[in-house]
Amino acid sequence: MIPLSRRTLLQTTGCGFGYLAFSALAAEAAAKDAAKAGPLAPKPPHFPAKAKRVIFLCMEGGPSHVDTFDYKPKLSADNDKSYGKGRLAGAKLFGSPFKFSQTGHSGHWISELFPQLAKQSDELCVLHGMQTDLPNHPQAFLQLHCGIFQFPRPSMGAWVLYGLGTENENLPGFVSISPPAKNGGPANYGSSFLPAIYQGTRIGGNGRFGSNAQVSNLQNPAQSTAAQRKQLDFVQRLNREKLARDGANPGVEGLIESYELAFRMQAEFPKVTDISKESKATLDAYGIGTAETENFGRQCLLARKLVEAGVRFVEVTHGGWDQHRNLRADLTRNCTAVDKPVAGLLADLKSRGMLNDTLVIWGGEFGRTPTAQFGDGRDHNAKGFTTWMAGGGSKAGLSYGRTDDYGFDAVEGKVHVHDWHATILHLLGLDHEKLTFKHAGRDMRLTDTKGKVIKDIVT
Amino acid sequence: MTRRFLLVFPALIAAVIALNAQPPRPGNSLAPKNRSQANATNPSRFTDAPSDEQAAFFERKIRPVLVAECYGCHSANAKKVKGGLLLDTRAGVRTGGDSGAVIVPGDPDKSPLIRAIRHTDKDLMMPPKKTLSDRVIADFVSWVKAGAPDPRGEGKAIVRGESDVEKGRLFWSFQQPKRSAPPAVKDARWAKTDIDRFLLADMESHGLKPVVDADKRTLIRRVYLDLTGLPPTGEEVEAFVFDSSPAAFGKAVDGLLASPQFGERWGRHWLDVARYAESSGKTVNFNYPNAWRYRDYVIAAFNADKPYDQFIKEQLAGDRMPAKSDKQKAEHIVATGFLAIGPKALNERMRPQFEMDVADEQIDVTTQAFLGLTAACARCHDHKFDPIPQKDYYALAGIFRSSETCYGTVRFVQANHPSPLITLPANSAPTAHDKLTDRERKQIEETIASLEKQQRESTDRVRNIFYVSQISINRSKLNSYEADGTPKLQAMGMRDKPAAPVGGRGFGPGRGRPFGPGRGPLGMGGLRGAGPFAGQRTIADSPVYTRGEIDHPGPTVPRGVLQVVSLSKPTIKRTSSGRLELAEWIASKNNPLTARVMVNRIWLHLFGRGIVPTPDNFGAAGLPPTNPQLLDYLALSFMDNGWSVKKLIRQIVLSHTYRLGSKGDAGNQEIDPDDEYVWRMTPRRLDAEVLRDSMLAVSGRLNSSAPVGSPVARAGEGPSSRPRLGSMIGTNPNDTHRSIYLPVVRDNLPESLALFDVADASMVVAQRAATTVPAQSLFMMNNPFVIQLAGSAADKLMKTTGTETERIRQAYLNFFGRPPTDQELTTAQKFLKEYRATPSRPAAGRRGGPPAGRGGFGRGSAQRSERNTWTAFCQALFASAEFLYRN
Repeated sequence: MIPLSRRTLLQTTGCGFGYLAFSALAAEAAAKDAAKAGPLAPKPPHFPAKAKRVIFLCMEGGPSHVDTFDYKPKLSADNDKSYGKGRLAGAKLFGSPFKFSQTGHSGHWISELFPQLAKQSDELCVLHGMQTDLPNHPQAFLQLHCGIFQFPRPSMGAWVLYGLGTENENLPGFVSISPPAKNGGPANYGSSFLPAIYQGTRIGGNGRFGSNAQVSNLQNPAQSTAAQRKQLDFVQRLNREKLARDGANPGVEGLIESYELAFRMQAEFPKVTDISKESKATLDAYGIGTAETENFGRQCLLARKLVEAGVRFVEVTHGGWDQHRNLRADLTRNCTAVDKPVAGLLADLKSRGMLNDTLVIWGGEFGRTPTAQFGDGRDHNAKGFTTWMAGGGSKAGLSYGRTDDYGFDAVEGKVHVHDWHATILHLLGLDHEKLTFKHAGRDMRLTDTKGKVIKDIVT
Repeated sequence: MTRRFLLVFPALIAAVIALNAQPPRPGNSLAPKNRSQANATNPSRFTDAPSDEQAAFFERKIRPVLVAECYGCHSANAKKVKGGLLLDTRAGVRTGGDSGAVIVPGDPDKSPLIRAIRHTDKDLMMPPKKTLSDRVIADFVSWVKAGAPDPRGEGKAIVRGESDVEKGRLFWSFQQPKRSAPPAVKDARWAKTDIDRFLLADMESHGLKPVVDADKRTLIRRVYLDLTGLPPTGEEVEAFVFDSSPAAFGKAVDGLLASPQFGERWGRHWLDVARYAESSGKTVNFNYPNAWRYRDYVIAAFNADKPYDQFIKEQLAGDRMPAKSDKQKAEHIVATGFLAIGPKALNERMRPQFEMDVADEQIDVTTQAFLGLTAACARCHDHKFDPIPQKDYYALAGIFRSSETCYGTVRFVQANHPSPLITLPANSAPTAHDKLTDRERKQIEETIASLEKQQRESTDRVRNIFYVSQISINRSKLNSYEADGTPKLQAMGMRDKPAAPVGGRGFGPGRGRPFGPGRGPLGMGGLRGAGPFAGQRTIADSPVYTRGEIDHPGPTVPRGVLQVVSLSKPTIKRTSSGRLELAEWIASKNNPLTARVMVNRIWLHLFGRGIVPTPDNFGAAGLPPTNPQLLDYLALSFMDNGWSVKKLIRQIVLSHTYRLGSKGDAGNQEIDPDDEYVWRMTPRRLDAEVLRDSMLAVSGRLNSSAPVGSPVARAGEGPSSRPRLGSMIGTNPNDTHRSIYLPVVRDNLPESLALFDVADASMVVAQRAATTVPAQSLFMMNNPFVIQLAGSAADKLMKTTGTETERIRQAYLNFFGRPPTDQELTTAQKFLKEYRATPSRPAAGRRGGPPAGRGGFGRGSAQRSERNTWTAFCQALFASAEFLYRN
């Protein structure tokens, strides 16, 4: 694919997205047809997929694995002993202040911070051997999303949308709910050199999410839909002419597509985000109505409604997992905020028969040190941490990989972020080495030049 | 010793003797055996007291190479010292290895060290697996000729970490900018200026060809938007187009540089870097009602073309600089608001932790903004990428911890760290407030009395907190006026803490109140007792905290600067925090980063991409410059021209390169899709503020006056977004001032800006993101403010007497700065005709439209309907790519 290919397509074939959508005669119906042939149209995977869609529950800040899913009795036994290696020289081992117990048939050890999720532990495929390159937020957060941090790269959601298209042309195919402004900000849901239409659409921001979960400006206060369509046809005609004059302007290409999507979203989006028709039981299951869980509960419910409506990739961010201090209080607060909503989400997907082909991922950019920092906190740890998957062809109940006795380094079943990406794409029926886009003379991919699929965790 | 050296390099001596042109003198076979002998023979002696120049030569050219190439085997830190030779001390260099000296002072050819690095002798080749460059060898030769002047102290072993710093100095950005002659180019006629020559040579070597120039209309719109953030009016475009004199463009540029709108545009770029905001952000978000003074200072500084070195010094240490007048004194104090406006976790309970966090944020913004380095990474450990040891971080921390940060705020629920503000000299600055009348004062006093009564009588804890908070806010309001009702002139800013008594321990946990008078103590045990206060009271050096933990202080390091950046180290007196010295060190021509970082920022704003593509990171984790010679050329001419930002901008926009068109080119695109080598002007979307301001300007609604103060100033102290507890800062949708004057509450930025990638106000933002998402499209399609402005633009247009054709023509001129083509005219006419025929009523049940009247698609009479149509037309032009993009 050369950089100009889509433009060339529009110009040469005469039946591309642009031509159909914006000819003076085209109205909504034509736009709909056009979208089907457009860059967001569903595309077949490289091979039969286990998962059709993804919900990525992103815990920004680096949740402590040794206090949640990675049980370390020896760490507790050696609590307060000095640990004398590397930059941690002189630090003291900090046994988790939280109790762990074995849960379900899977026997996953889960700490008391996740009582609701523990009830569903048999759905979880827990990866204990996660690794990333650097224990620094901006780099690790970008790597988690885009594969590498040295250069701008498309985010995982953009790659998936590029590879598979979306099932509902009236909604963005990639939605990021409450993403942080820091640690790379929009780059974490950006499309970089991929066409702008693959960029994630943001709802809310910085972990904040109003009780009225909407994209603003969804309704025109003054004109009818037909009139607006007329107006938009005029706008798009101007835009196409500009694109032709500039020769190459990916921003304008993206803008043209963005207007069409926006137009269609006006009707569709309010329907999807309206939770007023959800049953009380459903709301309760997500923890909506309880102060501690309200915010994340709404985000998880919205995620479910979006994937149900055909959105390909939804990311939900919960921030503030950077417990350098006040770990006991703050980690408890965080886990409480997400435990019930996440458990509710899994149960809801299951009851709707959607968990089979929806891949749910939970994790942050790295883990934390088994040694204490500021007495009641932990520093960053990139060499061993935990994430988990559920549904979408991941092996339910599996515990994969292991860190050392304290939880510093992954020692078995190592899964680098590159491998994690390769495996996620694999579950979606995409070969991470074939999902490429030509840029700057190279076939770029999410996994850069690395990544191997962890077949052991795939059903 | 001799024996061991011979064992290691058995052939060395023989080889040297064989190659030696002169027969060896007896007893002095190839090198002096000891120093006295070497020093005895003039000129062949070691230079004992190196001049400054010689010392600098050593530090720049010699030491980094020794560190990088030799220390591995020849330093105290080497795993295994080879040949008994230590090169990490002066003594080691002079004594030589196991078999004698390695340097014959004044005689490079006789010095084994030189022979070794020349690799001419296969039995003595050092470093063993690498040939040093001819340039480096030449440096060593001249060093030896000069008597190997070595400024290192006697016999001092290097400390751990220093080697990384020495090695680090080799990195491109820590080397002084180099002057190089503009390269020869094939197409000499195209290249009009040196900037063009640097760029064209690069293009030519990559097989790229610059595209054709932009037409005059595109160029004038470009330069207006770039320099002032506002589009030219139709008349301004026409005036430029019909001025055929060769000086026309230069004249236009000068006019723009001199306009007050210049500061409002370029000041905003700096405010992105300065993470300017009017609230504390983080978990509890409290107003900074005096932050606007810093905003206005920045705008004025760019308008006055304040030399950048002075701009730096004022922001870091204006309070310490001499002032000629009260007005200048006030200006200097307000400038230090740069350090005070940062985000703060006011709910932190531990005072020392809070102070350290404030200092950390100041280190972060200072090193990122001026040096393009992320020194704050070295808080817990040595920097992972850059040669910044942890002790350098604490050398800086000592400076900031010896200063008092004055930012205001009130004591409140979860706000534990109110600070004083700095009072400005009378009549030295404007005030955002009117005089407080006696009646108003009485009203406030009564409110306080009533709240106090309610509080005394209430037993409800929650209500009590509410009362106490209200009392706190009202007191702070009273406190912001003099007894006679005149508003106090207060500013955020910095001042030095008092010097520690001689012999006393400056650093250490004090007891009692935080440093400085806490403002408005509440007299409420529950609130005052929020945490132990043990701040640093005096000027003092900071300990290095192990792993950054405030309760693990290690050895103290002297206040100072980053070693890797520059060899000159300021002397910081006992009685000085060191801020002024730090400021002078940064704002120095000898600092290799300062000018480079700034010219790169300016280039970025004009071309959309920095010469260093990572403008906030000139360290190892960043990317190297695409055109290093150009970067250095610009940095040097920036300094040569007295650090004048306006001169630099003028120089750049008058280059041929700046006039390039935007048209794509398949051949170039294939080679350089990202336009790294600037073969065209990459089109880019307008910045959030420019978009909003342009809509205001075109619709005739722009209020181009600069307001005094801000909505946050009027709201006063208190939490920024909890109406029950204090103030609620809203953005008035009808505020038609330029966007730079909209309130900047952290995490609550105006939607019209937030949707279009405005800088997050809690971070140093060197380059904004550029997203294209449906939420932006929806804003242009449906936002009431946009529709309102389109209505105003329509009104303006409809006043143009004449035919529909003339109106369309006028609209194109106003919005795009060009007349429509015949085809575009037809298209527009067709749209207007069809739109008139379309029912305009929105679908039933839609709400939230603007009130009828000034804005909106009013409905009713025939007149309205015509307005409705023209409004739709104007809105379409706003929404079009041509309006949204700058080519």
